[in-house]
Amino acid sequence: MTRYLRMMGALARYGLARELAFPNNVLAKVTVEVLWLGLLMAFYRTIFGHTRVIAEWTESEYLFFVGCYFALAGLIETFFLSNCNEFADLIRSGDLDFLLLKPIDEQFLVTCRSIDWSTAPNVLFGAGVMAFALVEGSWAFDAGRVGLFALTFVCGLGMAYSFLVILTATSVWLIRNQSLFEMWWLVSSLMRYPREIFNGPLASPLGWFLTFVIPVMLVISVPASVMVKALDPAVVAFTAGATVVLLVASRKFFRLSLRRYRSASS
Amino acid sequence: MNSLPAPPPEARRPSPLRKYLKIFRVSLTERLVYRADFFLATVLRFLPMVTTILLWSAIYDGADSPEIGGFERRQMIAYLLLVHISRMFSSMPGLAFSIARDIRDGSLKKYLLQPLDMIAYLVSYRAAHKAAYIATTALPYALLFFLCREYFDGFPDALTLAAYVASLLLGFLVGFFFEAALGLAGFWFLEVTSLLYIVNTVNFFVSGQMLPLDVLGEPWAGLLKALPFKYMAYFPAVVFLGKVRGWDLVLGLLAEAAWAALFIVASRLLYRSGLRRYSAYGG
Amino acid sequence: MPLIEAVNLTKTYRVAQKKEGVLGALRGLVRREYKEVRAVEDVSFTIEPGEMVAFLGPNGAGKTTTLKMLSGLIYPTRGTARALGHVPWDREDVFRRRFALVMGQKNQLWWDLPAADSFQLHKEIYSLPEDEFRRTVGELTEMFDVGKLTSQPVRELSLGERMKMELIAALLHRPQLLLLDEPTIGLDVVAQVTIQKCLKEYNADRGVTMLLTSHYMRDVEALCRRVLVITHGHLVYDGALAGITEQFGSTKVVKLQFPGEAPPDGLEEFGEVTERAGPSVSLNVERSRVAEVLEAILRRYTVLDMSVQDPPLDRMIARVFEQGRAAHELATGPAA
Repeated sequence: MTRYLRMMGALARYGLARELAFPNNVLAKVTVEVLWLGLLMAFYRTIFGHTRVIAEWTESEYLFFVGCYFALAGLIETFFLSNCNEFADLIRSGDLDFLLLKPIDEQFLVTCRSIDWSTAPNVLFGAGVMAFALVEGSWAFDAGRVGLFALTFVCGLGMAYSFLVILTATSVWLIRNQSLFEMWWLVSSLMRYPREIFNGPLASPLGWFLTFVIPVMLVISVPASVMVKALDPAVVAFTAGATVVLLVASRKFFRLSLRRYRSASS
Repeated sequence: MNSLPAPPPEARRPSPLRKYLKIFRVSLTERLVYRADFFLATVLRFLPMVTTILLWSAIYDGADSPEIGGFERRQMIAYLLLVHISRMFSSMPGLAFSIARDIRDGSLKKYLLQPLDMIAYLVSYRAAHKAAYIATTALPYALLFFLCREYFDGFPDALTLAAYVASLLLGFLVGFFFEAALGLAGFWFLEVTSLLYIVNTVNFFVSGQMLPLDVLGEPWAGLLKALPFKYMAYFPAVVFLGKVRGWDLVLGLLAEAAWAALFIVASRLLYRSGLRRYSAYGG
Repeated sequence: MPLIEAVNLTKTYRVAQKKEGVLGALRGLVRREYKEVRAVEDVSFTIEPGEMVAFLGPNGAGKTTTLKMLSGLIYPTRGTARALGHVPWDREDVFRRRFALVMGQKNQLWWDLPAADSFQLHKEIYSLPEDEFRRTVGELTEMFDVGKLTSQPVRELSLGERMKMELIAALLHRPQLLLLDEPTIGLDVVAQVTIQKCLKEYNADRGVTMLLTSHYMRDVEALCRRVLVITHGHLVYDGALAGITEQFGSTKVVKLQFPGEAPPDGLEEFGEVTERAGPSVSLNVERSRVAEVLEAILRRYTVLDMSVQDPPLDRMIARVFEQGRAAHELATGPAA
């Protein structure tokens, strides 16, 4: 365990050194993220100029949701996304072989290989938006909620990571040159909005499916609800359970994909 | 499990049935995997549309009035679906990047050595790709619009439809030559890619992909409608919805053609003076 | 106990057949056709500790596939192997700590960072103790003579310098088995010779077993006493490098120098004339007839100088490959 932590430390240092070799690049990426967050805020400000509530979420609650999404997505992008995106390239170029030779867990090497520091500020921006939303909504401090929020946020991170790993592993089978960035963007569109918008004769069953069978919708909805809306212990317990199951299942699937890679390549 | 007695030797031999079951399973997975590959991409692509529809339904459910920025619920969702069609024509993924890269790494030379005009080559290449893309996605899109038919008031009249097609084709030109001009700026600025990320992000909003420009209210709506970006998403969609009619429509199309012409001329000029600069440096 | 033992290693895999044109692509969408490729077939050999062995073969002969099976990257379809006492494709950590694979065409180091940083990372990955790591880096940088270069970004290094860094990185955890795939590819002659020298020295010092594939006969001649020749997935020769000449060389080269401006006519009847340069001629003569031919020539012509040699090694090897292909085609029908 300490070995992996030390390795993470080394990777973080070198990742930073590498990014700082091209400061303009980092600056541009951070600018894009700030712009994007600004546009999202402008979007929701505009919408809330015409309505007081979206699917039971008031403006300050919704803002908290957006901040929570931004922070969690920022963590995924910083630590995992670009590594996972390179997986298909590693297969195509054969460089995956080198990773497999190392006496280190393969999933760790593939998904945590380098840290993309340029998206790390997103976590701070997201936290800032969350804090602002709490002030706006005149939220009363509640240590229990904060604790459960921390727990469910980590669960959300674990689930999002599992979905990313599953998507990554499929590239062993996929022949098409589909970029993982795009696939992830499409899949994460299910996390970007509150669960409650899945409302109506067709959407309700879909929402149920995406909550209880493929629990994508729990990722942001649960931590955000725990903090600013009704607190349901059963949902928290289910989220924690789902996280464990997903982490194990995604790991199994990843291993299966490597086995397939090793028996199909020459 | 370990405590179970060992099965008699005969039972250990795999039966022929198992062998064929295995073959069946392997062939089936292979076929499924291969098709899954194709459909996964298609299904995923429709996810954001589903969530967009649901989000806006929720917004209208809570709204103070049945209209937002002059769009009632059905129109809004129709608009957000139509924007995808606009983008099918006007989006040019990777165009500016590849031009900037060709300039930077010197592979631009291939256009100089062969009797080939780079811009003309890229236009025909892009147009072919767009045609192939539109052809392959026509079916899923037709299905989507059929499923969402309740959001539309049927087909617009022939004249509006003709104007719509014209606005899409002009949208292709505006999109292409805007991106090309950006990429050609790479003759002067090496770090053009950073700029591109920023432009693309802003474009998402100011072209009206997130919401119709009217919803923003004045002065923002008026300002953004005076810029060329709206032709890459907003304008064709409102033409289809019949929100622009008569002289407004004619003037809109003329303005679109003018923007297209401006970007065409701009990229020609940039290309020519860029090449002079390029050959002056000796490549 | 041998360090590597391979018995009947076989690897077949399937490649999807691509069809031409739009129509073909559409048809491929519905039904794909596969072709079985036999990359390696029934390859068996053993390698003793401390040996330096070369794998020779034309492109696509199965060299790299065999190396990948021995390093546990891919499973064989059939057959068994043991390397360092482990089954490679079980990929135990203990095994992975004891060998290294270097591929000349691939880059393992971080492109934008100095090699020293990649070494540090390597240290963490293999959990090397700090003092041992420092000592090893010191020894290796001295041996490969790259002193200050380790603090320069890898992208600024020449190809030869980069290869040295790759080798150092691979040797940091003191592997007992080193697998090298085309380690000198693309290098100029000087860099090739330095790398050869370092590898040889390292082998002599540490007794590390090395198995290498190369296209350059010079590498092989400089480094390995034993060669394995593989063509079309079959092992066709296993033995001393010099033995190839005896086994596959059915002819000798007779070089003759005549007085005057040009050689006399009528030499063709003694053997195939392969070279004419002024009054000098090279003849390919069957091994068994050499004595007889020389006698006849000396009787008929005046000869200033003469010598009898083995044909050049690379030509011999090419011939071995060709025979392998002929045998393969005889068995399977000519390639489409």
